[in-house]
Amino acid sequence: MQWRVATDIGGTFTDIAYLDNDGVVHTGKVPSTPDRYARGVVNGLKELAKKQSLLLGRMNEMVHGCTIATNAILEGKGARTALITTAGFRDVLELRRIRVPRLYDPLYVKPAPLSPRDLRFEVRERVGADGRVVEALAEDDIRAIAETIRARNVEAVAVCFLHSYVYPDHERRAGDILRGLLPDLFITLSIDVLPQIREYERTSTTVINAYVGPPVRRYVEEMSADLRQAGCPAKVMIMQSSGGTVGAASVMQKPAQIVECGPAAGVVGAAHLCKKLGIASAITFDMGGTTAKGSLIEHGDFIYAESYEVGAAMSTAGAIAGGGGYALKLPVIDISEVGAGGGSIVRIDRGGSIRVGPQSAGAMPGPACYGAGGDAPTVTDANVVTGFLNQTALAGGTVAIDAALSHQAIDRTIAAPLDLDLHKAAYGVHLVANATMVRAIKAVTTYRGRDPRDFAIIAFGGNGGVHGAGIARSLEVRRVIVPPAAGVFSAVGLLVAKRAVSVAGAFAHELSRLGPGAADERFRHLQMQAARLLDLSANAVTYRREVEMRYVGQAFELSIPIDDLSFSQKAKKHLRQLFDDEHERRFGHKFDERNSVEIVSLKVRAEAEEDDVPAQLRMSARQRERETRNVYFGDAFGILETPVIGRAALELEPASGPLIIEEYEGTTVVPPDAVVHRDRFDNIIIDLDYERRGRP
Amino acid sequence: MTRSQASDPFLLEVLRNAFDTIAEEMTLTIIRTAYSQIVRDSLDFSTALCDARGRTFAQGVCTPMHLGSFLDALEVMIDEIGGTIDERDYYIMNDPYAAAGQHLPDIYVVKPVFFDGSLKGWSTTLAHHSDVGGIVAGSNALGATEIWQEGLRLPVLKLIERGERNETLWKLIALNVRTPELVLGDLQAQMAACTIGARGMCRLYDRYGVATIDGAIDDLNAYSRRLAEAEISDMPNGTYRFTDHIDGIGEDPQPVILNVAVTIEDRRMIVDWEGSSPQVAGGINSTFPFTKACAYAALRSVMLADIPNCHGFTEVIEVRAPPGCVVRPVSPGPCGARGITGYRMIDCLFGALAEALPDRVTADGSGGSTLPTISGMQDGRPYIFCETAMGTWGASRANDGQEGVPHIGANQSNIPVEMIEAAYPIRIERYGFVADSGGPGRQRGGLSIRRDYRILSETALLNVRSDKRAYPPHGLSGGSAGAASMNLIKSEDADRILPVLLSEPVALRRGDVFSHQMASGGGYGRAFERDANAVLNDVILGKVTVQGARRDYGVAIIECGREFSIDEQATSEIRAAGKDAPAP
Repeated sequence: MQWRVATDIGGTFTDIAYLDNDGVVHTGKVPSTPDRYARGVVNGLKELAKKQSLLLGRMNEMVHGCTIATNAILEGKGARTALITTAGFRDVLELRRIRVPRLYDPLYVKPAPLSPRDLRFEVRERVGADGRVVEALAEDDIRAIAETIRARNVEAVAVCFLHSYVYPDHERRAGDILRGLLPDLFITLSIDVLPQIREYERTSTTVINAYVGPPVRRYVEEMSADLRQAGCPAKVMIMQSSGGTVGAASVMQKPAQIVECGPAAGVVGAAHLCKKLGIASAITFDMGGTTAKGSLIEHGDFIYAESYEVGAAMSTAGAIAGGGGYALKLPVIDISEVGAGGGSIVRIDRGGSIRVGPQSAGAMPGPACYGAGGDAPTVTDANVVTGFLNQTALAGGTVAIDAALSHQAIDRTIAAPLDLDLHKAAYGVHLVANATMVRAIKAVTTYRGRDPRDFAIIAFGGNGGVHGAGIARSLEVRRVIVPPAAGVFSAVGLLVAKRAVSVAGAFAHELSRLGPGAADERFRHLQMQAARLLDLSANAVTYRREVEMRYVGQAFELSIPIDDLSFSQKAKKHLRQLFDDEHERRFGHKFDERNSVEIVSLKVRAEAEEDDVPAQLRMSARQRERETRNVYFGDAFGILETPVIGRAALELEPASGPLIIEEYEGTTVVPPDAVVHRDRFDNIIIDLDYERRGRP
Repeated sequence: MTRSQASDPFLLEVLRNAFDTIAEEMTLTIIRTAYSQIVRDSLDFSTALCDARGRTFAQGVCTPMHLGSFLDALEVMIDEIGGTIDERDYYIMNDPYAAAGQHLPDIYVVKPVFFDGSLKGWSTTLAHHSDVGGIVAGSNALGATEIWQEGLRLPVLKLIERGERNETLWKLIALNVRTPELVLGDLQAQMAACTIGARGMCRLYDRYGVATIDGAIDDLNAYSRRLAEAEISDMPNGTYRFTDHIDGIGEDPQPVILNVAVTIEDRRMIVDWEGSSPQVAGGINSTFPFTKACAYAALRSVMLADIPNCHGFTEVIEVRAPPGCVVRPVSPGPCGARGITGYRMIDCLFGALAEALPDRVTADGSGGSTLPTISGMQDGRPYIFCETAMGTWGASRANDGQEGVPHIGANQSNIPVEMIEAAYPIRIERYGFVADSGGPGRQRGGLSIRRDYRILSETALLNVRSDKRAYPPHGLSGGSAGAASMNLIKSEDADRILPVLLSEPVALRRGDVFSHQMASGGGYGRAFERDANAVLNDVILGKVTVQGARRDYGVAIIECGREFSIDEQATSEIRAAGKDAPAP
């Protein structure tokens, strides 16, 4: 029997998910091995094969999510990268867009450029915005720079000339010369990565691509080699931040596309779940140890971020202003993040207010209850004190804890200084954590003009089930879904992800001037390119075509799907209508026909026509003893004796809270004023009853 | 720690998040629905929730110089409208003298928040409009000599009365501005934000009850005040003075003096501008509400705690200035370009605070946006190009000056070169750092930024405000001043230097290049004490030249091919000889 598996690498653990023939998901965690991640993966696979009586030699595909590209950037460990620009513009990368992510901070320090100034070179050449050559390319400049680069241990080169998106020849020629002279270097041209107007964003994206290229290549080679050595012929598919997977060879065309693919996989899993449940739209809430993330699924599809910065912590100003990380303008699922998770440290500030995060106790020393020397209380400690979490061990019994340490930490830092009852203090911390995390969800809903009350929340991540109901309550959301394997849900997402890529090409034309067939050739070219990246024949792929449009003179582009490529008067009118409508939806207004509309670029989203994975994602039944413990549910309810059960013991018929469901992957808390049942896919469904509280 | 507040501290934190989220939602509503570039892209606006007395308890701050500036205007407004408030009203005002506004382009739109039939507060917005008439496009003429030349003056009026549009007023506004579509569109965006704010507050009142919310607002103000007091009590008591200068306006600039005394007195601060120049017959007078807001922004920036943007914070800061001076003009003092003075007041306050808090401020930087504006005719149609050009900071005790950053008072952005060239007959020929320009110091000031614009239309008019030439950015603790600004017009026949603050636009022809070099940042500490390896690294990066390293830092660099190294022997000799030299 052939089999496939998903592996998702994190800083501490590598999650593994495997779907057996009956549609049952088997999951596991093994320690990550940062010196050579492939080793940990192969170990985990061997363990899995042994447990499930599978042969490594019959494993035909591994879908993989990794942090290699993200970490290279965050830790400054990417390739030594040179940048070649038009004369006069080598500082564009360092100047950025000027705006900073923090207000009132005169001591703010900008992130260092990924290509240092001594490795940024200028070439005499100039093209106008209309694509006309103002100054020819000085090829000798390129040759001289190649010599300098050779002498300086450079591993990767990014090339970005002004207006190359309308006239790519100078960049292409520069690329040919560089590849001829420096055959061993990883060379990236901006037109191959992001053929779009705006020099800073294009330069930054191109530099990121160059910077992560060599480490990603090494990583992929190591992974393939170690799998082969273990007698495993599996093809390695890698997750991209856009939510589709792609073969390891194609990854090297655009390695920047795998930055932040782990969180994307969780959203992919949630979208798959929506489809199975027949719901069109949902909010995802992914809460781990250090952060909480929110994203939106609408009409069964992800929402893409218009701009994204690697390494930018979300802050109020940052979300609006940007500037905190490295600009990456590639298709990225829009996931907002706040620095609050189970390990977030709780404190009282000088004004007497309770603050949660963004400082985290991390894996070491971890929450106070770990007994590893951390004496600062964390959100997890508060959840231990209220009784939401198990009193003796977490992670399904694998991590022993000392609840007394949680009590001491909360008492010392919060309850005693405020002269409050210990339970009240802990419950208060839980609420403050919710209030902080709600912002991540508001960022993808109300901030985008969506009303969260129209959606269900899909909660996952190690702590998603503990806080899901509380988050839902403050957003007035009525239903929370906690899927099986919620604690390793990104790995599940990898299992169900499809092979998909997005490609784009510049195409600057005023809509009114386009005639029949004007874009046929370009779209055909993009589709061939996409099929090649997917490593599939053209007829095994579904294409979705889009045009990026804007009002002439405006700065914002919107992606509009296009079916009719005839550019007849009727088709153009229809396209214009779609654009106006979308503009009105997003920005609250549209302009009349006096404002002409232009197309900026063409986009193709290509997806493999594959069979869906089996519908029945189920848990292997792990029985556990039914027990009870005392849990504090706030002033309104006080301490209640609460049943603690396993997921399998949950009935298909709704039962009233309070109830706690404990599993290896995480804990789910059902408050007293909610009902819960298990659906036929083994999801925990919590329904919050608002009528009873008399609130709309 | 004492708990003086009534509400439960956990609930207070939950509600604080809720208030802030509403103010942010108002902000995003404006970004999504505004028409003009200055509001939508430059984010020159702010939103706030205020209580019934006009005291802010949450503010969505995009422009720090708006912090805490709403109270004066709302007090005038509340006084004017008296008992005639209707739930469906929207109010509008902008006049600095009749309505405690900031300058005419900044228009307030305010909606009352009613719950259960009684007035609970005000959902407030302030936005910089693209034009409000007057003698120059954009309504920020430096050359205006009285406020009537600056455009449309609006006292407190009803934009919407009992749910009905005040058509007279809308028509009047439309006819008095150069960009009616943008202005009316932006006013609607402000109204939309006010509606969102009022609705959000009503939901909270409904959910938690009036007593809880009103109590939380009071507690939040008290909390904010406590935080600010705790911060100030850590600062050394004393009076700290600083004098800064604006170079002056026009061909024959007369320096405008800004003189400040900051007094730290246990748990409060006093900012006194006594001794500053009298108000001037040019648009740079800063109205008093704006002067206060600039003080709040500067002082907020030296506090370490994350203080909520609410009224309580401002209660511990008293701002004083004699009426009739450049930071507190009386009618009819023009104030369209008061931003120039606002930026400089913040710089001046940092100068004063450097003595009290040497590790919290930087040496002086390039200043606020220089607003280069180029206009002319293209294909028979007029064009106006304008951008917010910034910026470089001085060095701090710990770090070199940041390069490519906005002024602390206004978090604005540049415009991509490619977008400019696609839309206007302008070619940008250079955008980058100027070597050796950073103020030398143990920590080096940020480098000057230069941006060169070539004119491609037949003729064009140029406006720009770029001073810090006669008075370049100061250094701190023995660090040298930064480089002065320099603006040149390079024509075929000759180069000429532009005055710093133009009182009227300069005529340009096709092919002329406007070379715009902003001031740099001042240094921190003595340059000869700079780590020689840091100097070497600057040389490698091309930020300091080999000659500059020797001259400014006393570091001898050996250049061999493309490799650089330190000549240790020569360096210690130069540095020993320069040790006794007086600090610059």
